[in-house]
Amino acid sequence: MSIECPRESRCSLRVRGWLGVLCLFVMCVPLAKAQSDANATTPAALKNLSLEELSQIEVTTPSKTPVAAFRTPDAIYVITGEDIRRSGATNIPEALRLAPGVEVARIDANNWSIGIRGFGSNLTRSVLVLIDGRSVYTQLFAGTNWDVQNTLMDDIDRIEVIRGPGGTIWGPNAVDGVINIITKDSKDTQGMLVSAGGGNEEQGFANLRYGGGNGKDFSYRIYGMGFTSGPEYHPDARNFDDWRNVQGGFRMDWKRQRDTFTLQGDLYDEEAGKSVGATSYTPPYSQTIDSNALLSGGNVMGRWKRILSDGDDIQIQAYYDRTHREAANFAEIRNTFDIDFLQRLRLPARQEVSWGLGARVDPVNDQVVVTGLQFIPNQRTDYLLTAFVQDEIGLVEGRLALTLGTKLLRTNFSNDIDLEPSARLLWTPDDKQTIWAAFTHALRTPSDGEDNFNLLGFVSATANGTPFFARFDANPNFAPEQMNGYELGYRRLLGKKLYVDLTGYYNHYHDLFSEDFAGSIFLETTPAPAHLLLPAQFRNGLLGYTKGVEIAPEWRPTANWRLRGSYSYLHMNLGKAPNSGDVGTAPIVVGSSPQHEVTVSSAVDLSKKLQLDLTFRYVSALPGQLVPAYSTGDARIGWKFNRQVELSVAGQNLLQPSHPEYGGDPGPLVGIRRSVYAKLTWTR
Amino acid sequence: MDPVSRSAFDRRHQGAGRWLRVLAAMLCLVFAIPSRAADESLEYQVKSAFLLNFTKFIEWPSAAFEVPDSPIAICILGEDPFGATLDQIVAGEVVDNRKIAVVRIKRPPAPKACQVLFLGRPEKEVAGLLPSLETGVLTVGEGESFLRDGGMIAFIIENRRVRFSANQMAAESAGLKISARLLNVARSVKK
Repeated sequence: MSIECPRESRCSLRVRGWLGVLCLFVMCVPLAKAQSDANATTPAALKNLSLEELSQIEVTTPSKTPVAAFRTPDAIYVITGEDIRRSGATNIPEALRLAPGVEVARIDANNWSIGIRGFGSNLTRSVLVLIDGRSVYTQLFAGTNWDVQNTLMDDIDRIEVIRGPGGTIWGPNAVDGVINIITKDSKDTQGMLVSAGGGNEEQGFANLRYGGGNGKDFSYRIYGMGFTSGPEYHPDARNFDDWRNVQGGFRMDWKRQRDTFTLQGDLYDEEAGKSVGATSYTPPYSQTIDSNALLSGGNVMGRWKRILSDGDDIQIQAYYDRTHREAANFAEIRNTFDIDFLQRLRLPARQEVSWGLGARVDPVNDQVVVTGLQFIPNQRTDYLLTAFVQDEIGLVEGRLALTLGTKLLRTNFSNDIDLEPSARLLWTPDDKQTIWAAFTHALRTPSDGEDNFNLLGFVSATANGTPFFARFDANPNFAPEQMNGYELGYRRLLGKKLYVDLTGYYNHYHDLFSEDFAGSIFLETTPAPAHLLLPAQFRNGLLGYTKGVEIAPEWRPTANWRLRGSYSYLHMNLGKAPNSGDVGTAPIVVGSSPQHEVTVSSAVDLSKKLQLDLTFRYVSALPGQLVPAYSTGDARIGWKFNRQVELSVAGQNLLQPSHPEYGGDPGPLVGIRRSVYAKLTWTR
Repeated sequence: MDPVSRSAFDRRHQGAGRWLRVLAAMLCLVFAIPSRAADESLEYQVKSAFLLNFTKFIEWPSAAFEVPDSPIAICILGEDPFGATLDQIVAGEVVDNRKIAVVRIKRPPAPKACQVLFLGRPEKEVAGLLPSLETGVLTVGEGESFLRDGGMIAFIIENRRVRFSANQMAAESAGLKISARLLNVARSVKK
């Protein structure tokens, strides 16, 4: 074996002088060794592989310029499973930091505020989140409970993040974005995977997966996982936010000539420490309770896809999802049944038509834990009926395409059929650049949190001892929040190494959620004891606009070094509608999303065995949350001993002992700590 | 640096221990990026192996060859993304008592000159070219659209892996028989 630096080496004597010599000698020994391990992909070895084996070799570094995404008239970004692995993210919210334009702010160990193009909140109310086509957006308070969206991170194939409205295809509530989490086909997770590790924040975790099959048309996997983590830094030492999870699941895939059938499911049980306000009509009226929320649930989903002919296919998907939340101030059991049909067909004159139908029914049972937080009625059935049609018309073959479509939807929360139309134009003047423009109308449907929800707040005790409350009463007339979005995008490949994605948008909103005074103070005698009440209601009193720019360049200076950056600028301008009695919600909403966000990350393969990833991010201040601007960084080093074993050490938020990212919990701001963990992964 | 002084340097630093290696790794990090053999071409290495494999599962009519012992010619039309890899992979291979040859061509092939024809991009030219080909040529290209244009086997990247789809109808009308084994591995088959 000759000891030589590879041709491409930048550690050459000429370029770097004496340092280079050092590199040359010290680095080349492991390099030469690494090459002998890589024999499976030498031409000599490849020619002896079977067709099936060849089909299993991963050939693209997943991060390669996303070809499909390149020609999409959406602001789409694809986070690959490999990106997630290399980032060291241990859960889905942290992984979302990898996508440009997504505001991820950790509130505490098990709570995040996530937003796209503004409107960041712990429920991410204007973004639709799906896992393998299963909506995890709940109609409880409208949004996603991030604390129960866990999965084996190694099973994630990719996360598609669409910034901007996606209502036509994806359904209601995709107002400011869609987050589409897609797990791997079970044929890509064959064999055994065991990983475990721990650190100061991620105190301990273990994952186990096994995949098998008949080697032809059937494959499956099963997994089990568990973790314990938290708490973050609390200046008042109320370390309530510990978090423990146990979860398991499976996936089976059958593939025949034209048919694909998938069956999958998950089951989880969690304890998540929360600090919540609890108000009641009786003393002590108002208290903050630190306790563990008990969160459990599961889902099972089946999907059948048949290819009728090239470009024509049909798909039917059905799932059942159960969630059970039991917190110190309320509890809910929700069962969701959902069925969706989708057909794509090719028509003459370069038309590709998709249409679909969907139905969802959620029987809900809410339990009263404290009298100040009640759903009336507490047993209900929410439903959602949807239909959509979309036509992609190739105006000029391969160069210019127009996509027109609309969704029609009906929910139990309104008596109307709502429309979500869109028009998108895609122009690819050549293979290296894409220009697109879109107009979209999208809406967020009302939820139980507005239509059936009564929330009591304790203001003070008056001089004679009568308690004084304010109460948001259910508003059955709450209307959908409306948005008209205008987007313009440009993507460009500059040579083979540089890729730039640029998007600008202007979104106009009306009928946005507001918190309104609904009358004057009066003495209410029931429920007892008698108390003074200021009536209030959630209404549709805000309107305004957001505008912004997102720039995401990616540069590959060498085959094994990848640099990515992103900058997002957001300007929000929201205010009260003329007749609104809003108490002052707009400045809080505006002040809870950062105006500037910058991320720079570097991914280097130091050798076949050693990978180093560094990330720096800057987030501007959130005046609505009293959070100052911050900069911090992550690092991960991964060392592959051999084909089967990898050791990695990941550090997060390294630039300071702790920093707050978002308010949201009662008491002082929670600091997100500098954390480090080590992980050992064994695959076979 | 000549070999003598290189080994002298080596000897001097042999005792420096592991920390030197770590230090060097860090310095490399800061000042330079050491490279390993690029993986960029792995995609085409795998595709090369597929091309060889295809020849084993295709039955050509004898009329497809110039003389009875002609080699199976894999022709690359236009831009060659495979490089030397393809030559290395087919070197010494014998399929059905025929050697395998790799031929790079600039113009559409003469009758019986090619048994496998790989057509890279651009798509537009491919679509125009396919109908004009003689029978007895297995056409291989890239992307689902290649099959729509009348091609027989298309490479498709799916889940970061190289997969292929086949157009059995097109192959049969060109007098080629694709074995069931190949069709079983195909991602989809157009009949």
